[in-house]
Amino acid sequence: MPPMLPLEIQALAKILDELDYYQILDLVPNAAQSDVKKAYFETSRTFHPDANRHLDEAVRNACMHVSKRVTEAYCVLRDPRRRSVYDAQQGSSSDRKRIPLGEARESHVRQESEERQGKTAQGRQFYQKAMQCQARGDRGGTISNLQMAITLEPGCEFFQRQLAATKAAS
Amino acid sequence: MTERAIGIDLGTSNSCVAASYGDRVEVLANSYGENTSASVASFAEDGSITVGNAARANIIHDPEHTVSSAKRLIGRYFFSEEVKKAQAVCSYEIIEGPNHGVRIQVRDEAFSLPEISAMVLREMKQLAEIRVGEEVCKAVITVPAYFNDNQRQATKDAGKIAGLEVMRILNEPTAAALAYGFGKGLEQRVAVYDLGGGTFDISILEIGKDIFEVLSTCGDTFLGGDDFDDRIIDLVADEFVQQEGINLRSNPYAFEKLKMAAEAAKCGLSVDDEVEIRIPDLLIGEDGGARSIERTITQQEFSSLVTDLVQRTFKVCDEALQQADLTVHDLDGVILVGGPTRLPVIREAVRTYFQQEPRADVDPDEVVAMGAAIHANSLVNESAESFLLDVTPLDLRIGVAGGLAEPVIERNTPVPIEQSRMFTTFADYQESVDIRVFQGDSREASSNELLGQFAFSGFKKARRGEVSIEVTFEINADGIVSVKACDSETGAQNMTSITLSSGLSSEELRTILAENPAARVERAGAPVALPETMPETTGTEAHAASDDLEAAGAHDERVLPMAGDDEADLELLDRDTEVLEDSETTPQANEESAPADSEADALFDRDTRNLSEGLCDDA
Repeated sequence: MPPMLPLEIQALAKILDELDYYQILDLVPNAAQSDVKKAYFETSRTFHPDANRHLDEAVRNACMHVSKRVTEAYCVLRDPRRRSVYDAQQGSSSDRKRIPLGEARESHVRQESEERQGKTAQGRQFYQKAMQCQARGDRGGTISNLQMAITLEPGCEFFQRQLAATKAAS
Repeated sequence: MTERAIGIDLGTSNSCVAASYGDRVEVLANSYGENTSASVASFAEDGSITVGNAARANIIHDPEHTVSSAKRLIGRYFFSEEVKKAQAVCSYEIIEGPNHGVRIQVRDEAFSLPEISAMVLREMKQLAEIRVGEEVCKAVITVPAYFNDNQRQATKDAGKIAGLEVMRILNEPTAAALAYGFGKGLEQRVAVYDLGGGTFDISILEIGKDIFEVLSTCGDTFLGGDDFDDRIIDLVADEFVQQEGINLRSNPYAFEKLKMAAEAAKCGLSVDDEVEIRIPDLLIGEDGGARSIERTITQQEFSSLVTDLVQRTFKVCDEALQQADLTVHDLDGVILVGGPTRLPVIREAVRTYFQQEPRADVDPDEVVAMGAAIHANSLVNESAESFLLDVTPLDLRIGVAGGLAEPVIERNTPVPIEQSRMFTTFADYQESVDIRVFQGDSREASSNELLGQFAFSGFKKARRGEVSIEVTFEINADGIVSVKACDSETGAQNMTSITLSSGLSSEELRTILAENPAARVERAGAPVALPETMPETTGTEAHAASDDLEAAGAHDERVLPMAGDDEADLELLDRDTEVLEDSETTPQANEESAPADSEADALFDRDTRNLSEGLCDDA
């Protein structure tokens, strides 16, 4: 995004409510997830309040207005679950360009995280311990810690796979 | 024209100031060549005030009139856990101030915490001015990432009182990451493990060359190096009771000596495997003979004393990683911040937990000030060489019926951000509504930190549910909260904040600034000045500071007597049928909570402060 003139920033601030999150981040609607962060970084370089202190008050306020919306856009688009809810809203005839962050929480991401590392604090702890043992080359320790983790979370496929892999390796 | 701005690490025990010279950052030493100054202010009988390392000795000689660890109290309510704890262990007198705030009573004067911290900040400012050879008016001041809005506002007030324009309240771990990665073009994920004197923070950041994005931040504002000292203190004090039958805690002079010795022992253990705790002439016994303490403490003994404290830090680390959806294996580096991280027990635990060696090229005592200076420089010189994308550390919540508080903006949401919610009235022909704003992670309103309470009126008198009020919550880049309300129909925006903030009201702040706080510290006891004469700053600074307040659009406070408080209530307009807190049903305050309603009523008569003030002097 090329640097913006103060007048351009103010103009953008005025029409902000007419833009959707993709437009605000200068993204195509079907942009890949990995592009969202890049776009957020790039847009922040232009609009972040810290970069615009030297401008006069009206422009600074416009910048702040835009900056807040940029952050909001990022919060929604970076989260696959929120993004899909947002996309559905955009797809319908609604002319809402925004969506409250509370809607469609990050449960999608949280769910993935739980699958990867365990749902419970103890499960996670034993998994971490197992990985520490593995790093030290302590096969026995790795196995017993994984077994503990599995006892705590019998449904966790990821732990089971880890255990099987460790046992298989000699 | 290059304007000089400084970065100040306002620490619990020690403060540090640095300045950027474009190509390099330098920690500024005082006239004795010391890079850090004690965050201590000592009040002598003749009215003079000594601040910094020179005041440190008075912790032992004059404990009742020497204030240290003000950071543990700044921005807190008098009824909070931390303040109660401090009252038990501090030798100086802690009393209640207006708005359930805290005051330190010293020699017939009651100081607010911002005033005390302002003395330390002024010391750092003057030190900087001597070193850089010119007047310094602008600064970036760091705070623990986990500080809430009240604590941040109070710190900003301290800066104003000290005669500084506080360009940014910056999170300490973020500052450290900036110092670590600035100008290096890194693309890395790092964890900043920050164990200071009074607080613990962990932040997980993604560095994208010139961008420093905080992915998550978690902390414990009740855990720090001081708690490690406490373990040694407890050990030694208990032994002393057993051997001598005397309780050291009841003798302020002896207790302070013990505290100092414990702290010194802890520091010693950063370097040696075994340290001696030696306090001759600790006190005089009943027989007139002097009692002393001589005891060795080993690394191992110390480790076992503090194991649980160390474990607590890693529970917080677990949380941060989970919030960022990362594991330790995803991290490219670990940065240690804070003197206590020099302790072998900490380093070892960090190495084990993160499964990597922490970065050695970072000075844990200076990195935060350096990061603050780097950021100060880029803010003042429009150079935009780095961008800090931070997050808010705590859920921002609104009080709803049943004594609950619903999140409006979740913790670890990037800032600046704004979110709106629609509300309506609970009762027919209701004239005003009551909005309570909290920060914290509890569903129970009373377990959170109350930031402010607002009354909004001026909307049409109508039947319940027919009024539409939009309340907008904003968190700026400093992590400071502001709230505004708007009547959707009339467009009326006359909301008055009746803040219960533990902080200073606008009026109090104005009074303090008008009193020219510079005079208080410069009364006497300032450290030996270098031959260069300092620019005469007192008059202009106080003037500039109050100008700043004027410019910030500080509104006239108006006491809002809420007629028919009991009815003042909001109801969520959307599908959730939660009703905003009815004043009548506010739960009783517990130790850490917002005051019970009878107190709340009384508070409506107190001075107010517009909460959005915090935003006004921002970019």
